[in-house]
Amino acid sequence: MRMGIAMDDSLLEVKGVSKTFGGVVRALDDISLAARRNEIVGVVGENGAGKSTLMKILVGVYPPDKGELYHKGEKVPFPKDPKEAAKRGISIVYQEKGVIPWLKVYQFLFLGHEDKYVKFSILQTDKMKKHAAAILEELHVKCDAEAFMYELPLSTQKMVEIARAILSVRLESGEDGTTPIIILDEPTGPLNDEERRELFSDLLKMKKNASFFFISHIIPEVREFTDRVHVLRDGKLVANYDFSEEKIAEEDLFRAIVGRESSEYISKQEVKGVDRGAVGLTAKNMTKKGHYYDISFDLHKGECVGIFGPAGSGKSQIIRTIAGIMSFERGELIVKGHKLKASAPPHVRLRSGIGYFSGETGKELFFNWPIVKNISIVNMQKILGKFMPVINFNAERKMAQRIVHRLRIRTPSVNTDCYSLSGGNKQKVSVGKWVERKPDILLLDDPTIGIDVGAREDIYEVLSEMKKSGISMILVSDDPKEYSILCDRIMFVMDGRIQNVLGPDEFRKVVGI
Amino acid sequence: MKRSSGNRLIPPVIIRTLKNQPVIIALIAVFVMFSILYPDRFLSLLNFKTILRQFVTLTLFAMGPSIVVVTGSLDLSYVGIWMLGGVLVWLCMPVLGLFSILVILLLGVATGFLIGVIQAKAKIPSFILTLSLLVTYWGLTAKLAGGYPRIVRGFEFITAPLIPYIPTAFLWSIPIIFAAVFIMKYTRIGTYLYAIGSNEEGARLAGINVDKYKILAFTLSGLFTGIGSMILFQHLGGSTPVELKLNTLVWPLVAIVLGGTPLMGGSGGPQRTILGALTFTVFYRGVYLSPLHPYSIQLLVGLLLIVSITVSARGLKGVTIT
Ligand SMILES: Nc1ncnc2c1ncn2[C@@H]1O[C@H](COP(=O)(O)OP(=O)(O)OP(=O)(O)O)[C@@H](O)[C@H]1O
Ligand SMILES: [Mg+2]
Repeated sequence: MRMGIAMDDSLLEVKGVSKTFGGVVRALDDISLAARRNEIVGVVGENGAGKSTLMKILVGVYPPDKGELYHKGEKVPFPKDPKEAAKRGISIVYQEKGVIPWLKVYQFLFLGHEDKYVKFSILQTDKMKKHAAAILEELHVKCDAEAFMYELPLSTQKMVEIARAILSVRLESGEDGTTPIIILDEPTGPLNDEERRELFSDLLKMKKNASFFFISHIIPEVREFTDRVHVLRDGKLVANYDFSEEKIAEEDLFRAIVGRESSEYISKQEVKGVDRGAVGLTAKNMTKKGHYYDISFDLHKGECVGIFGPAGSGKSQIIRTIAGIMSFERGELIVKGHKLKASAPPHVRLRSGIGYFSGETGKELFFNWPIVKNISIVNMQKILGKFMPVINFNAERKMAQRIVHRLRIRTPSVNTDCYSLSGGNKQKVSVGKWVERKPDILLLDDPTIGIDVGAREDIYEVLSEMKKSGISMILVSDDPKEYSILCDRIMFVMDGRIQNVLGPDEFRKVVGI
Repeated sequence: MKRSSGNRLIPPVIIRTLKNQPVIIALIAVFVMFSILYPDRFLSLLNFKTILRQFVTLTLFAMGPSIVVVTGSLDLSYVGIWMLGGVLVWLCMPVLGLFSILVILLLGVATGFLIGVIQAKAKIPSFILTLSLLVTYWGLTAKLAGGYPRIVRGFEFITAPLIPYIPTAFLWSIPIIFAAVFIMKYTRIGTYLYAIGSNEEGARLAGINVDKYKILAFTLSGLFTGIGSMILFQHLGGSTPVELKLNTLVWPLVAIVLGGTPLMGGSGGPQRTILGALTFTVFYRGVYLSPLHPYSIQLLVGLLLIVSITVSARGLKGVTIT
């Protein structure tokens, strides 16, 4: 595939990059692409397609097996580490969480570059704070340089990470050296709609003096905000689109990514909730001051109830309360006729049939464990012998293989350690263990962050099947579409109170999808 | 998918084992080295017997704590249980007769349970907690014994020779080792303990009663230390020790860490501790036979601990926030 890019125009170009992990996993196969000045280049593809690997090669986390790198038309060696990449103007915001919560914003911004602010072996914090404030101002990041990272909303944290990436380029390559090339690996995953818009308006401003590689699984935002897009599949470059030359329909991009037609799962979903089963869970006037007030609802067998609302509406707190991570102050929570204590932790909830999927892979997964163990951890009783409480390793492996197959997890084997999986496949392992467990009530807190468009349909299908078999669900998500696909009822929450309860059709009308 | 042509000379099983248990390489290395350096003294039956004796001591002390280390905590109470237990046996002997040896077992379980409860509920770092307890037990031991080692007779049967050149304590330790490895590898308890050490919040989200299993870990540790100390009581002389020796405390820790169980938990465990104990014993016997001054040996042991802590800390993969 030829790229029609004039040499002088391209800022960074890779040619024929290949990468294999451990001699078995072919992560990248002969990839060539480029970034020009002042543009946002989208990189899309399925989970495990090789996006993150390619980007990590650009910043020197991994060496490529083969390939060439051109910077401003000049052939250069691949960087050996992120610091060297920064000298050449390339910096990355990683997919997995890279924020250190207990650092102050200015400390985090200059982390690893403190040597530039040392005088007589004393750190000049005043100077750092001043510079940090100036940078934040220049890049339109609205936050205090002396705030702690954990105090900031997620979108601002992301912005600070991006600012840090730009800053590291400037510090390492000399103040007004090259145009920085910033790699954003799924920056919008954990953000909600509002935060996303904010991030993009800032990115478009920053574009005036930087170029971006932008990875995302959210097709509409890729179409709207990137200038060009490269599609990877199975480590190969399968398509390139230039949005300035042609208009690309959402379906075309979907097909290019997944390699098949959309199953249109989203639109042909049948009308649900015809006959409701028995009540599985009842909340009565649940209240936690400052978070939510008087939350009352019934959850029936085989029903999915969505809790929808803007950021800060209390929806996450409500689902976390039901999961047993937060406690409530007033009201009741009744499961199968039994009152649950407000402070009962997750293992007590699980005993009464409530499973909680937090959607935060970093929290849920045991990274140094193989997939098998990550799946069996909540399914122990299924794999213990009948007479002796001894683990049946054969049953354990079969169980994991079933899930890997069902959710199409891309991995060489079920014994692969989870840290080496791609971001989306990690997420699939996390959700897979609950699919296997089949709790009576499954709480889903943003279940599809970082999961590619095709796989998302697979997961919706699996969840719908579970629902049909009588499992109840409560959903919280940042994606309104998800509610309309999965939910029978959607509770609209604002300022911690239920404002309205909508059916899926009404909901679609209200949010306009 | 392409498979790289691997080394056909060495069977994959062996490669995998060596990858998982790199300490085996160290074991072979020190063994070969000292066999070449001191062929007649190192490769003697007497030396093998001594190695086995020391191995048993280390293993029985380290088995319990290595269960706790898997959860990411630390349990230093083992020496305390052994010391105080010995004195209690001496005190109870006139009343309970031979049954008094079981006091050590009770003390072990009770101590472990107590530490577990305090640690889980009060959230005190286990290192400080168990260290203070160790010092307390030591003081109590010296006080009860009146400051002198007390000899207790009647338990010689525990170490009565059965097979020539094989210390009987070694035979006792085999089922104990098997039980510990079995619990950690083949049961739900073991899996949950690894889970807690690997990612405590993840374990909690997966519906594991973290506090309960932490208490269980310490109780198991106390149980294994209790059983081990019953044997060690006789194995180490049949008298009540009143001096706390640093080596008794440090060597089992070296065995645990050298075996490849990182102190932050999540991997390793009893099966590695055995290898660590064996490697350390062989190493120690080797340098012991060498003309090195005892102080230099002490220095070497310290360095070994530092190196193995550093190496085993890297065992925790997946921390790839590069
Ligand atoms: N350190 C590693 N060791 C072994 N295999 C790896 C490693 N890193 C990535 N892989 C494998 O390389 C392939 C590509 O992974 P990569 O992370 O680049 O995917 P991705 O396109 O970023 O996917 P996602 O959208 O899920 O983040 C996957 O099959 C993954 O399992
Ligand atoms: Mg990725």
